[in-house]
Amino acid sequence: MRTRKWIKLSAIVLAIGLLASACSSDDGPDEDETATEGGTDTGQEGEASGDTLQTVTDRGTLVCGVNGAVPGFSFADEEGNITGFDADYCRAVAAAVLGDPDAVEFRQLTAEQRFTALQGGEIDVLIRNTTWTATRDGSEGATFATTTFYDGQGLMVKADSGVSELADLQGATVCVLSGTTTELNLTTLSEAEGLNLTPQTFEDNETLQSAFEQGQCQAWTSDKSQLAAVKSNFPEEQGGPDGLVILEDTISKEPLGPVTRDGDSQWSQIVDWVVIATIQAEEFGINQGNVEGFSSDSPDVQRFLGQSEGEAFDPGLGFPSTTWTTDVISAVGNYGEIYNRHVGPDTPLGLERGLNNLWTEGGLLYAPPYR
Amino acid sequence: MAASTTAGGPRPPLWRDVRVLRVVGQIAFAILTVAFLWWIWGNLTDNLQSRNLPTGFDYLSQPGGFIVQYSDVTSSTPIWKVILTGVKNTLLVSAVGIVLATVIGVLIGIGRLSNNWLVRKGSALYVEAVRNIPVLVWIIFFFSALLLPVLPVVEESVTGDLFVANNRAISVAGPTTPSGGAGTLWLLGLVAVLAGIAVAWWRTRRNVRTGQPHHRVIWGLLTAIVVFAIGFVVAGVDVGLDRPAREGFAVTGGFALSTPYLGVLIGLVVYTASHIAEIVRGSILAVPKGQQEAAQALALSGFQRMRYVILPQALRIMVPPTANQYLNLTKNSSLAIAVGYADVMQVVKTVIGNGRPAPQNIAIAMAVYLAFSLTISFFTNLYNRRIQYVGRS
Repeated sequence: MRTRKWIKLSAIVLAIGLLASACSSDDGPDEDETATEGGTDTGQEGEASGDTLQTVTDRGTLVCGVNGAVPGFSFADEEGNITGFDADYCRAVAAAVLGDPDAVEFRQLTAEQRFTALQGGEIDVLIRNTTWTATRDGSEGATFATTTFYDGQGLMVKADSGVSELADLQGATVCVLSGTTTELNLTTLSEAEGLNLTPQTFEDNETLQSAFEQGQCQAWTSDKSQLAAVKSNFPEEQGGPDGLVILEDTISKEPLGPVTRDGDSQWSQIVDWVVIATIQAEEFGINQGNVEGFSSDSPDVQRFLGQSEGEAFDPGLGFPSTTWTTDVISAVGNYGEIYNRHVGPDTPLGLERGLNNLWTEGGLLYAPPYR
Repeated sequence: MAASTTAGGPRPPLWRDVRVLRVVGQIAFAILTVAFLWWIWGNLTDNLQSRNLPTGFDYLSQPGGFIVQYSDVTSSTPIWKVILTGVKNTLLVSAVGIVLATVIGVLIGIGRLSNNWLVRKGSALYVEAVRNIPVLVWIIFFFSALLLPVLPVVEESVTGDLFVANNRAISVAGPTTPSGGAGTLWLLGLVAVLAGIAVAWWRTRRNVRTGQPHHRVIWGLLTAIVVFAIGFVVAGVDVGLDRPAREGFAVTGGFALSTPYLGVLIGLVVYTASHIAEIVRGSILAVPKGQQEAAQALALSGFQRMRYVILPQALRIMVPPTANQYLNLTKNSSLAIAVGYADVMQVVKTVIGNGRPAPQNIAIAMAVYLAFSLTISFFTNLYNRRIQYVGRS
């Protein structure tokens, strides 16, 4: 009886203690809130703030957020190394600021995790097939660098289905991942064109692929680059890559590029100009093979390689070295080389350059002058 | 009277008085609970506000932007209506599932006690094979490994006069009212059912009073049919048959049972039936053996022994655990998301994926399941009270 009372008493004391702590911790978020309002940066704590370049230099490695599950863009090979188009841009940034393309720590992120990881300072740069949209630019605390890949949503059908254009899909069922912009775009398309499409939504790509293989849906819609990745890995017993056709029609604009945190304009500029440098190099005809000792009479080319009338040329972007462009190109090559190595016509993905060609070749890649 | 508990001694000081402490303890607990809820609510709204996220439910009236298959939801349908469609779909799979699982479960449960070796062993095999595999695996099995490969693709649909079957959906012909009046028919149906129930009740009362056989099922059914027929003729509603037809990739008309729906339904029914079967078997075994022997001594047939002696007594034991299985089935229907059936959980997750606030949406989903579960509990408790032995307390 005595002990029971003691238990009860201590329970009450505990309750009051908890109550007090509950009340006091209630003030916590308020303080945080004022701090957020005062600062311009969403990730204000510790190393997330201000000088990302300094953080990266001190650490000696670049932490790069990638997808890790899209062949051709970022995909773990047998040895666990992440390779691909996006991964090479991580290496390019590391080469530019650290002089070492291998000083990259890859962080594989899901679609939901990516912006939180960026805001919280867990990663330095996000290169994870992320579409540049106004809301993301405005509300996710993100700054988008120059687009590395102009993608668009497409539809994939089986080659023997007799479907060759959108109009042939009248009344069809289309498989799509639920809760994505892809699903919304599909709805818009169906209603605008009067196609009367039925979306069959799934949570994950595995169930979706099984439903598509068994013909529950006649088409599969996603970003064209992702469809190409699926196509390249399509099982042989289902007809292999040749058993599938990606329709010509593009139903949305999906510009994919690197993303940095809002509030660190120097770091954003650095990532921006690394992308621009790969494009500029292709325009100048500089590639991984000839960049060392590349000589040209053109002052434009000389400036690009860090020389101006015999002196070092530094536009003041914040790169640690004036020859950073050489470091980048010798590490990963120019844009065309990166593209052709991972997603180009000679790879399993087999994507033509299309929009991702130089402006001189009818594409959208256009580098601002380096002067 | 206070002295009686403390055996005549002086009252202890306040801080050692059990009755005072009890009251204080309860008040403290109540305050703690309220404070905790108030704190997490404040925490949530603060954090939402600091991230510029909406804290209210205003978004429910905005358009959802996506289509839900086999429904009239378009991209301009407000979100609350889209979620309501999800609720309807959850109801459709749970209600049909509960009925089917009960029927199959009772049959298998009785089968396990059969004198026929094959029936007994077959039922045992069913129960042991089915209940030991998670229901999610069953749902994916029936959808991906059974329905999708077995049914033909839409271009090669099996087409009959009254149905079109492919691995999108099995569409069957259904009644339609080309010139309107569907509401009248539903009302008529309701009136007919109520009339049938009333007559069945009257037959039961008469049976109790006079001892004459009631035949209440036949009487009730006939009444309902007659009332409906008379009302139908009087109302003069034009009824036609809506036959499904295939045009290219699309099947129009009829009533569509989509393969995701069938996958979820069969998975839930097969799994829950195995649990109900065990409950039925246990309940029958719990009826004293003497009842069985007495029924046999009265020369009742096997069916009669089961129907009039054993099952009514087993029912009393059966109802509470079976009600639990009904709750499980309803909650397990949220696994529909695995095969792309648009139940309330799938719809809510899609809404969240489109950038609508997660806390509010999850709260809605929780409220829906809670409402379903409490409704089932209410009716099963009501039924349980009705069939309990009367006269003991």
